[in-house]
Amino acid sequence: MEQKNDVVKVESTPPTGIQVVIREFRKDKLALFSFIGITLLIIAILIMSAFMNQDEILRIKLLERFTEPGVNGYILGADEAGRDMYGQLIIGAKNSILIAIAITLIANALGIALGIIMGYYGGFIDNLFMRIIDFLMTLPTLMIIIVLVTIIPKYGVFELILILSAFQWISTARLVRSKALSEGRRDYVSASKTMGTSDFAIMFKGILPNLSSLLIVELTLNFAGNVGIETGLSFLGFGLPPSTPSLGTLVSYATNPVVLSTKWWIWLPASLLILVLMLGINYVGQALRRAADAKQRLG
Amino acid sequence: MNTANDLLTIRNLTTSFRIKDTYHAAVDDVSLSLNKNEVLAIVGESGCGKSTLATTVVGLHNEVNTKVSGDIFYNNQNLAKLNEQQFNNLRGNDIGFIFQDPLSALNPLMRISEQIEEGLIYHTKFTKQQRSERVLELLNHVGIANPKRVARQFPHQLSGGMRQRVMIAIALSCKPAILIADEPTTALDVTIQAQILDLLKTLQTETEAGIILITHDLGVVAEMADRVVVMYAGEVVEEAPVKELFNNPKHPYTRSLLNSIPQTHSENERLEVIQGMVPSLINLPREGCRFSGRIPWIDASSHETKPQLHEIAPGHFVRCTCWKHFHFEGEEGGGTV
Repeated sequence: MEQKNDVVKVESTPPTGIQVVIREFRKDKLALFSFIGITLLIIAILIMSAFMNQDEILRIKLLERFTEPGVNGYILGADEAGRDMYGQLIIGAKNSILIAIAITLIANALGIALGIIMGYYGGFIDNLFMRIIDFLMTLPTLMIIIVLVTIIPKYGVFELILILSAFQWISTARLVRSKALSEGRRDYVSASKTMGTSDFAIMFKGILPNLSSLLIVELTLNFAGNVGIETGLSFLGFGLPPSTPSLGTLVSYATNPVVLSTKWWIWLPASLLILVLMLGINYVGQALRRAADAKQRLG
Repeated sequence: MNTANDLLTIRNLTTSFRIKDTYHAAVDDVSLSLNKNEVLAIVGESGCGKSTLATTVVGLHNEVNTKVSGDIFYNNQNLAKLNEQQFNNLRGNDIGFIFQDPLSALNPLMRISEQIEEGLIYHTKFTKQQRSERVLELLNHVGIANPKRVARQFPHQLSGGMRQRVMIAIALSCKPAILIADEPTTALDVTIQAQILDLLKTLQTETEAGIILITHDLGVVAEMADRVVVMYAGEVVEEAPVKELFNNPKHPYTRSLLNSIPQTHSENERLEVIQGMVPSLINLPREGCRFSGRIPWIDASSHETKPQLHEIAPGHFVRCTCWKHFHFEGEEGGGTV
């Protein structure tokens, strides 16, 4: 009897799910390095920012104006109001990352839900929402965001997240809809129906997991894009108010020519952090995209 | 509305698909009934409306592109008039459905146990513990050697025969009164086909369920069925008990089908075929005998203008009158009744 049990254990199965991803990252050292680096960086930023006193950092100390890095305990120097750049960088990065995560989650949750409903039901519902999406896509998004930012009276982090999410779900919905359209006509969906499964359960328990490879890639690359769009808006002056530091507001100090040419420590660290974040997330996203498609896999 | 022995009664069922804004009937005015403890085979070539008939019974067609008229009576309910909610209470619980290709009919990302449990969750009040016991019991029942391991696996890890067994286990999970098997053995190789058919037969005698078996394999019909309905171009052309049909086929289409089975004892010759092919839905002749185009050597006057089903022996129905004058091409014929 005992021998029998041992024999049963031997079986070879093709790699599934997480194994494929791990193999892909093993092959692509850059993506592996990026993944570890980005994860550590984000965790470090979140932990460090938790121990920082934001009021203390943002207090204006005119005597310390434009302190150079390394002087008086200012690791990365100080800006024109004498505020510690290092502290601002950490808190700014935390804000930017959390905002990007929030936008990604809200926009994609909405986009995925709508996309699956459109793809699964087809017909009238699909047509209706597709026309709405077509219409929304023709709108100049950036201009509308800028107008909204200016006319909303009480404007802060939460409002910014909502406004940006309102335009981000569109592309996700289109993408998910096209995949759900083909997935929803597969036999297993009919089979599930013949068991009396409700449409809702079929959509979110049957079809959704089958879109997961696509969605993981989409979420990752969207996240990188959302870090970019938040910093971009803040740089233009339509993002967060100056009282809330973010990577974008820090970079926007460079709009002052004096700062740009002579006070590099004010804008360079934030710019480099943005570059590192975006590149790293993109490398990870591309590795995930390859893992999701058997034809492109390296591992 | 059902007579005493009937489990399922289909009356004047027509299922039409919309193609370029006009509706074309894929199943045209079909009436049939399924008795308790009976295997009813529906045979015909590809495109004859067999699968459409089956999927209509379980309400798988969406209302946007499909129009269904007629009645399907089960248990004093008219399935053709149910809404989605009412249908969901019935599907899985009273009617089980076995698909042709078990690989595509199983969700690739759900474990076998989860897929079998699905129906139990919706139709029973079993606890989690009871459900997993029932899953193992079902897998054991359909002849899977190591149910505990298989329950944890994904569909791609199983062989074709095992997948079809799992499909059957799913269909049987809530002990349905009717089992509809849509070409259950087509995707399997011959040895596995025999096993699956044996399994279906055993399960049917145990559960006393009525089975609608859809197939184009007449060997399967001879082995499994009690009664046979032959469909051609969306219509029932002949209906008879299985022995009667094989010993005494009447309709030209049935005879041609039987004639095209390869004979093992005659060593010579080419395989017999039926000329032409099933007309597509759009080009289907709606007037007169639909099979006439494929037997052009038969005189047009032998067909009825509006072919009806005639009962020529108890329980034996044949459509049109052309069977009285039918002979195979090249044979002497006519008048042999």
